[in-house]
Amino acid sequence: MIQFERFELDNGLRVLVHEDYSTPMAAVNVLYNVGARDESPEKTGFAHLFEHLMFGGSANIPDFDTPIQMAGGENNAFTNNDITNFYDTLPVENLETAFWLESDRMLALNFDEKVLDVQRKVVVEEFKETCLNQPYGDVWHYISDMAYKVHPYRWPTIGKAPKHVEDATMEDVKSFFYHYYRPNNAILVVAGPVKTEEVKRLAEKWFGDIPRGENVIRKLPQEPPQKRLEKRIREANVPVDALYLAFHMPARTDPDYYVVDLISDILCNGNSSRLYHRLLKEQQLFTSIDCYISGSIDPGLFIIEGKPSEGVSLEQASEAIWKELELLKSEPVPDMELQKVKNKAESTLIFSELSPLNKAINLAYFELLGDVELINREAELYLQVSAEDIQRLAREILIEDNCSELFYKAQKGEVKVIQQPSAS
Amino acid sequence: MLNRKKAPPIQEIGALRLPEIPVHRLDNGIELYEIQMGTQEVAKLELAFMAGRPFERKPLAARATAGQIKEGSRHYTAHQIAEQMDFYGCSLSFPFQMDTSNAILYSLSKHFDKALPLLADMLAEPAFPEDELQAFIRRNQRRLEVDLSKNDVVAYRQITELMFGPQHAYGYNSYPETYAALKREDLAEHFGRLYNSSNCIAFISGKASPAMLDMINESLSRAIRPGQPATATLPPAPEKPEAVKITRPDTVQAAIRIGRRLFNRHHPDYAGMYVLNTILGGYFGSRLMANIREEKGYTYNIYSMLDAMHYDGCMYIGTEAGNEFVNDTLQQIYHEMRLLQEERIDEEELSMVRNYLMGNFLTMLDGPFNVSEVVRTQAMEELPMSYFESLTEKVRTITAEELQSLAQRYLNREDMWEVVVGV
Repeated sequence: MIQFERFELDNGLRVLVHEDYSTPMAAVNVLYNVGARDESPEKTGFAHLFEHLMFGGSANIPDFDTPIQMAGGENNAFTNNDITNFYDTLPVENLETAFWLESDRMLALNFDEKVLDVQRKVVVEEFKETCLNQPYGDVWHYISDMAYKVHPYRWPTIGKAPKHVEDATMEDVKSFFYHYYRPNNAILVVAGPVKTEEVKRLAEKWFGDIPRGENVIRKLPQEPPQKRLEKRIREANVPVDALYLAFHMPARTDPDYYVVDLISDILCNGNSSRLYHRLLKEQQLFTSIDCYISGSIDPGLFIIEGKPSEGVSLEQASEAIWKELELLKSEPVPDMELQKVKNKAESTLIFSELSPLNKAINLAYFELLGDVELINREAELYLQVSAEDIQRLAREILIEDNCSELFYKAQKGEVKVIQQPSAS
Repeated sequence: MLNRKKAPPIQEIGALRLPEIPVHRLDNGIELYEIQMGTQEVAKLELAFMAGRPFERKPLAARATAGQIKEGSRHYTAHQIAEQMDFYGCSLSFPFQMDTSNAILYSLSKHFDKALPLLADMLAEPAFPEDELQAFIRRNQRRLEVDLSKNDVVAYRQITELMFGPQHAYGYNSYPETYAALKREDLAEHFGRLYNSSNCIAFISGKASPAMLDMINESLSRAIRPGQPATATLPPAPEKPEAVKITRPDTVQAAIRIGRRLFNRHHPDYAGMYVLNTILGGYFGSRLMANIREEKGYTYNIYSMLDAMHYDGCMYIGTEAGNEFVNDTLQQIYHEMRLLQEERIDEEELSMVRNYLMGNFLTMLDGPFNVSEVVRTQAMEELPMSYFESLTEKVRTITAEELQSLAQRYLNREDMWEVVVGV
């Protein structure tokens, strides 16, 4: 159970406070309601590039990191398809430093060309490190392109191609900032040994005079039902074959979201799960297998991925997975097994409440979803899932017409390896 | 009117101490550290055995043994163990560590009594089934293939092998043949010799009731048998640094590692190097990040790392940089080391690093599981529990002169091994 207080400033900034006196550290989280889904198809990867620029100095402060480190703190951020989220943890005595810094970069950036120039390069290197120079690193580019035809989830957060990032201009930066990075499009959460009254005072002091922006209205095309199996084979210079099955699933706030989450646990959470136990351990068809959900706000994806054992073809491997999916549809999950995944979900929720930062990020996210109370009802929602629900959802979504199937074929091409001493 | 140019006042973090940690002795002599803290009804039990690589009689025996303990015991099959652990929402892992082999059990306090007997049974008499071992070997050979296609993995393997030598516990690498050579007897031998009560320390953290402590004593005293403390013999490591280039023309970034051997935590210069390493590449504001990422944009990430093992240690710098930036990245890394030797760090930067590290230390004391990590490291490294406090004191008091002289001693280019994998 996470207790919280909630209030709103006149400029529309929503503020939540979670008092937790078991820690000496305060966590400050600022969530901006903008992600890769808000980008134009010609300028993908921009929301994430923008996250980098938020550290390059603001209207009155030349650089973000130095003062945070000076205050004994750490900070970071992440961007995904839906949100851009910034967070700081620091000794509670220095809480005001985070207010000073976060409010100044919400007020205005310094819009420095040099910062933009360097961060474009940094992000291109990130693109290489995580996608281009990694075996299977471009898999998300393929899957999102296969599963989505109209919704902006059809490109990954990092962007379609490095070119989009390289082409970003200062004009783009400014208009993005003044459109999305306004108090009425943000949520501030403070968690730690701090009184709500004190947070109120600091929030008014530092964020109160930041002007409100225009209301952001999001009109995204919704993805129509897929209605046919989407198959692709990618031959690539990877060491071993791999396969990916992606199925459309309900949106984050749909009660069926919890059903699908439990299906992914039945299949692949823990060594006793079905795919791990039967396909990897017993039948030894795979050397690794996993299953997870993208968890996005708009209808997302349920993904199964695996690497077949030596001598097992991708077709055989895929068939074995489909057999397990058929079983889920034809036979109700036994009570004990359902209880098991519910227990696991309960345990995961309790462990997730250990860290103030985690709680702060989650509070901001549930506030964004439109119902922050939901954060304390999740355990209940998992408990309510029945064996019939599991079967119903399995029949609804784990079908060919709703599936994108990607085969990664290892092309054991020449990887030239030349080892030589070099002059130092 | 609010003056946004003026930073709010900052309070420095004063002296930090580890809380008093009671130590119990189980009936079979194992020390149990009790880290009773936190607000959630959760617990973590960690058992650390001195059973890592330095104590192996065959390469990979430590990793394979740790990986196979949960594959069945006298009374339970691997699947029964997995079912039971999953049913109660517990997580049990045997992560690979260089010097130690650890069993880590996370559990809701209310389910602890269901998980502990299973763990005890595994430690009393692991079955090490032959077919599970063969499957483990095949899976790991396959995973190795994937790992070896990553430049950063190849670079790490290469530099540690160069620094310590290919026969050394801290230097040797695994190959498909190393896995293939593993026999069931190797695991049984490794387990039998090292997973004993003279070679183990236990740590319970979180919310642990007196009944839970009794249960730990009861079941572990019976499960873990007496034996001898571990001993290790390590070959001498190479003296003369080398530079190696591994060319992989089809990659767009190269992985760079530059490093040298250092020492373990008992060395008088360890605390000072802890600070110097942070300045060089141990946090976002470090010299390497500021220059090579934030000024030049050559890389997404660059770091330097102080890796202290039980018998030895090393430090290395790592990054992945675009092919076209590799040469200058190397130059800049050496340039930053030289700067630390030639110029004293100014007071502002030094106080930033101090404050940053003190904030880190405060985080290490935040919550039962973080404290448990600190306690475990100190206990396994045979350091006094006051070590944490003395490390933080060193951070608070180290001078620019000391840092410069450490840089002059330990950051010489001619002492560095250098590996580039890629272009």
